[in-house]
Amino acid sequence: MLQTENLTFQYKKNETIFSFPNITLEKQEDLLILGKSGIGKTTLLHLLAGILKPTSGKITINNVDINKLKDHALDAFRGKNIGLVFQKKHAIPSLNVFDNLQARLYFSKMSINNNKIDLLLQELGLSHVKNSKINSLSEGQLQRLNIALSVIHNPQIILADEPTSSLDDQNCKIVIALLKKQAQETQANLIVITHDHRVKSSFQNSITL
Amino acid sequence: MNIWKISIQNIKSKPLYTFLSIFVLTISIALLLGIKQLKNAFKNQIDHNLGKIDVVIGAKGSPLQLVLASVLHLDNPTGNISYSKAKKIAKNPMVKMAVPISYGDNYKGYRIVGTTHNFISLYKAELATGRYVKKSMEVVLGYTAAQQLQLYLGDTFLSTHGLVENSVEEHEDEFTVVGVLKPTQKVIDRLIITNLESIWDAHNGDEIHDEHEEHDHYNVHHDNEDKEITSLLINFKTPRALFTFPRRINKSTNMQAVLPKYQLEKLYEYTSIGFKTMSWIAYLILLMSCFIIFISLYKMVKERAFYLAILRTYGASNFQLIKMVMYETLSIAFSSFVLGLLLTKIGLPHMLYFMQPIYKQSLLIGLPVLEILQIALLIFATVILSVLLAIRPIITMNISTILSHEK
Repeated sequence: MLQTENLTFQYKKNETIFSFPNITLEKQEDLLILGKSGIGKTTLLHLLAGILKPTSGKITINNVDINKLKDHALDAFRGKNIGLVFQKKHAIPSLNVFDNLQARLYFSKMSINNNKIDLLLQELGLSHVKNSKINSLSEGQLQRLNIALSVIHNPQIILADEPTSSLDDQNCKIVIALLKKQAQETQANLIVITHDHRVKSSFQNSITL
Repeated sequence: MNIWKISIQNIKSKPLYTFLSIFVLTISIALLLGIKQLKNAFKNQIDHNLGKIDVVIGAKGSPLQLVLASVLHLDNPTGNISYSKAKKIAKNPMVKMAVPISYGDNYKGYRIVGTTHNFISLYKAELATGRYVKKSMEVVLGYTAAQQLQLYLGDTFLSTHGLVENSVEEHEDEFTVVGVLKPTQKVIDRLIITNLESIWDAHNGDEIHDEHEEHDHYNVHHDNEDKEITSLLINFKTPRALFTFPRRINKSTNMQAVLPKYQLEKLYEYTSIGFKTMSWIAYLILLMSCFIIFISLYKMVKERAFYLAILRTYGASNFQLIKMVMYETLSIAFSSFVLGLLLTKIGLPHMLYFMQPIYKQSLLIGLPVLEILQIALLIFATVILSVLLAIRPIITMNISTILSHEK
């Protein structure tokens, strides 16, 4: 469960203060956050992920006020409970696909289950490239790997930042469907932040910033 | 999966950077170790070859030349001294042991030293095989001389006149090998040892054979009553004698008494200026190598900022990221150190092999483990300092900014 209350953020004094609407999500609920560039979408995503600390307000994930966690505990909490999907590839370039997923579990301090990795790769159609280096993957494969990296550790919340911006209509639909499917399978909340209106029809809940 | 595995994969993914870093660091480490080893070997040669010799008495001339000729057996002697006068000096109550040496001949460049049995005990040398010299024209070979000349017990050879190898002025009397010494890593290893009589006999025979032939050797004796030797090596009963005895010889005789330890220390001081300069150059190269590693690391950390930030979102702590960079650099430093050590161990003896004809003896001795450890510590401390300076961007990393900019 995720809940935000009176969330504001200011990068520097005398700069714009971003104020965000309150969000309450029950288990497995999805949310689409739409907004133009510069409105604070990514700032909100970083706040929800604990990457940024709010100027004021409260973020509670599964009854844990993440802003009260110390840095080290916050790193561990984020690693275990949050899955992030970015527009850009975010795998370690020196490792292959399989090793990247192992590394994701390692840094989340979770037991490394090779069968689980194989199953997920199979489900996402990446089995045949499991030993390939990141640089040899296509755009579509990279985005699927990003999804794999965000769900392999069974997070409570999946946060996706512009996951479809660089994709064509067909791939856009595939990625959103995969994200929703993975969120459902891991019983996680899925929050997609985007300016891409093509995905609006896929979500029941949405807010516009 | 662990941080080591990721670090190793990171190293493998940048072969050129890895190769250049290892290459530069290996060369500087090998240079530093090589210079240290040479300096150590030189000092060791000076210290060890002194044996128990407190004073060298010889003909007047350059004191250093007398020491180089009589102790290190490298230079020409300053001249000859009277054996009867030397024997009188040897009877002085302050003298514990007096060893006369006489030379002027060689066999294939290896010096033939006429002396007494005490000469061998000066260097604590022992027989490996055979026996000691009992009569004239018998020789005992030092270990290196025996190895290089391929001479064995019972073999005979003709010496040549002078201290440099030549085939023109060959003596007619044959020397016979009766013993070979165990290796000592001292100057005695490259000497051919016989008794004084052999030297006198060899030259006496020549003089009878060709009275008019002019010789420039150093042990010419004029008649049986007044034989000559090259020098007298003295070991005192008490160190107090060092202050009075040489002064008396220098004042009251036509000979000179020289303290070899003092002369060799002086020589070492002169030469150590060169070693020090080379050491500083090696340290400078090492510093530059570490600077190159620092620049490369700093650049790499900056380039990898996005991936490092992503790892933070995976749950990696700053400490884990620092460990990752540290492991990568330490692997490079460790590989370089091992390669540098190997290069010194293999390359330096090969380099000195070409110098061996000059010294007739292997100069090298291994560097003490403590000194190797000191150098290793210095290198690792410098590398760790480079890493600590290079990882500043990780410590001060703003994940949000990096992720937002790299989107």
